[in-house]
Amino acid sequence: MKKQRGKLTDIAFLSITASTAFSIIAISLGIFIILFKESLLAINKFGFIGFIFSTEWDPVKEIFGAAPALIGTLITSFFALLLAVPIAIGIAIFITEIAPSFLKGIIGTAIELLAAIPSIIYGMWGLFTLAPIMSQNIEPFLQSTVGKLPLLGKLFEGTPLGVDLFTASVILSIMIIPFTASIARESFNLTPSVLKESAYAIGATKWEVVKDVVLPYSKLGVLGGVGLSLGRALGETMAVAFVLGNLNQIPSSLFDAAATVTVKLANEFTEADKDIYLSSLYYLALLLFIMSFTILALAKVFLLKAERK
Amino acid sequence: MILKKRKITSSIALFVCFLTALWGIFWLSFIIIDVLRHGITAITPSLFFNDPAPPGEEGGGLRNAFIGHLLITIFATLIGVPIGVLGGTFLAEYGRKYNISKVISTLADIMVSVPAIIIGAFIYAIIVKPLGHFSGWAGSIALGIIMIPTVLRTTENMLSLIPWTLREAAFALGAPYYKVIIQVVYRGAATGILTGIILAIARVTGEAAPLLFTAFNNNYFSLDMSQPIASLTVTIFQYAMGPYEEWHAQAWGAALMITVFILFATITGRLLIKRRYKD
Repeated sequence: MKKQRGKLTDIAFLSITASTAFSIIAISLGIFIILFKESLLAINKFGFIGFIFSTEWDPVKEIFGAAPALIGTLITSFFALLLAVPIAIGIAIFITEIAPSFLKGIIGTAIELLAAIPSIIYGMWGLFTLAPIMSQNIEPFLQSTVGKLPLLGKLFEGTPLGVDLFTASVILSIMIIPFTASIARESFNLTPSVLKESAYAIGATKWEVVKDVVLPYSKLGVLGGVGLSLGRALGETMAVAFVLGNLNQIPSSLFDAAATVTVKLANEFTEADKDIYLSSLYYLALLLFIMSFTILALAKVFLLKAERK
Repeated sequence: MILKKRKITSSIALFVCFLTALWGIFWLSFIIIDVLRHGITAITPSLFFNDPAPPGEEGGGLRNAFIGHLLITIFATLIGVPIGVLGGTFLAEYGRKYNISKVISTLADIMVSVPAIIIGAFIYAIIVKPLGHFSGWAGSIALGIIMIPTVLRTTENMLSLIPWTLREAAFALGAPYYKVIIQVVYRGAATGILTGIILAIARVTGEAAPLLFTAFNNNYFSLDMSQPIASLTVTIFQYAMGPYEEWHAQAWGAALMITVFILFATITGRLLIKRRYKD
């Protein structure tokens, strides 16, 4: 009798835990379906190609195009990665290969804390502290040096206001350093010490061991970390919302104000008074969801492959 | 000669790696010191005990936002933690042999990093729009959903660390599986699960994006979760973007409180896990 009751409770517990586990699938699918359903109106009106290549965003005339927001998202994420990845790999090398053991923990935690600071704090700090420094010192300096170069100089034209793509990318890059760094660290640690020792034994210097043994061995894992960082950068909202200006234009220089998908959502979602306006915003959200989901899934595949090795 | 050149190259490259570590630490200290510097002067009793005053008037505070934020976070925890812990239990125990569990784990890993603002838009469509108004509940559910994958994955990992022989010993005494899980496995993994919960709470405390169109904002003191409710993060956004000096000061004060709480929680979580799994 008692045993039977135990069995029944067991089945009940099993079903509860199973249904909560399956809620993850339900939520992911639910998000996709709901975003799709809400954007149907805009999908039918503007189509796919028509939406992502159109630059117009006019709530009065009810014409909406995603190009400026998508380009803003891609540019900020790209430059953030360009800045963050080499630094994150350097940090991972420093922690795993160079730092004395008492420093490893401290520096490791410090870098991870960069990920713990909320994005709204980054945004506020960016607006009140970093943006003025950018507009008064760093951006004029860049204009008078790199800005003089042919072609590359084009990127640094315009009045340096501090509220622009450049500042946003720098802040984003700081925010995503810890994601690449911590995964790169783990992958570096997976390199078998026999491999490293044999390289040392034939007379390789420490840097040569890192460059020719550790990095090639762990490249899949590092790539996974970069993907994770990119996924984060694409979806970052508040930090960028403070320092980008939400200006609907195709930027021609890094010192231009711009918009990203997330900034548009954050600023205009509650103002959208017409169905087609709201639906276009949902269309943007759907595109963002698909982009970040795909990149995060790819990153995960790389990481799983790296683990299996 | 060549050897010397290689040695110099190596030293330079390693020095550059050292500089990158400094770069990271530089920004961390810059941000924390800056938040401290601006925030500390704004920490006054009126910040905690008064409600917002009209711009230009002295003595306004953010009592409504502190209480609102607390409420939203508590209910988010009540939603996210049970689902996360139980889900993680399924993946590590009953479901560990099925392929679907691996799929769910992977999906959860992806969902951890999905943009928070997307969750906000999702909740807006399924709760705010049908009800016709913003509400504290919608905010809590959005944050709860963000917590689920994090808690689920840490719980799964922590349960998997419990040696299988421990479970077998309990089975041998005739205990049914649920009793083994609750009385043996959970007890062994308690610290780890708690750490996961603390880190998840720390993460959602700083979220602003999913609250923008769920809980929205409220300039008045309110305990009613079925109505729009103020939160610190949304208030920071509104105040920092606003034109008034007093608003900026209060936003810094709120930013300082949030940063201190999150850093404290994160470091506590890390210390807990380090002490538990020293070896």
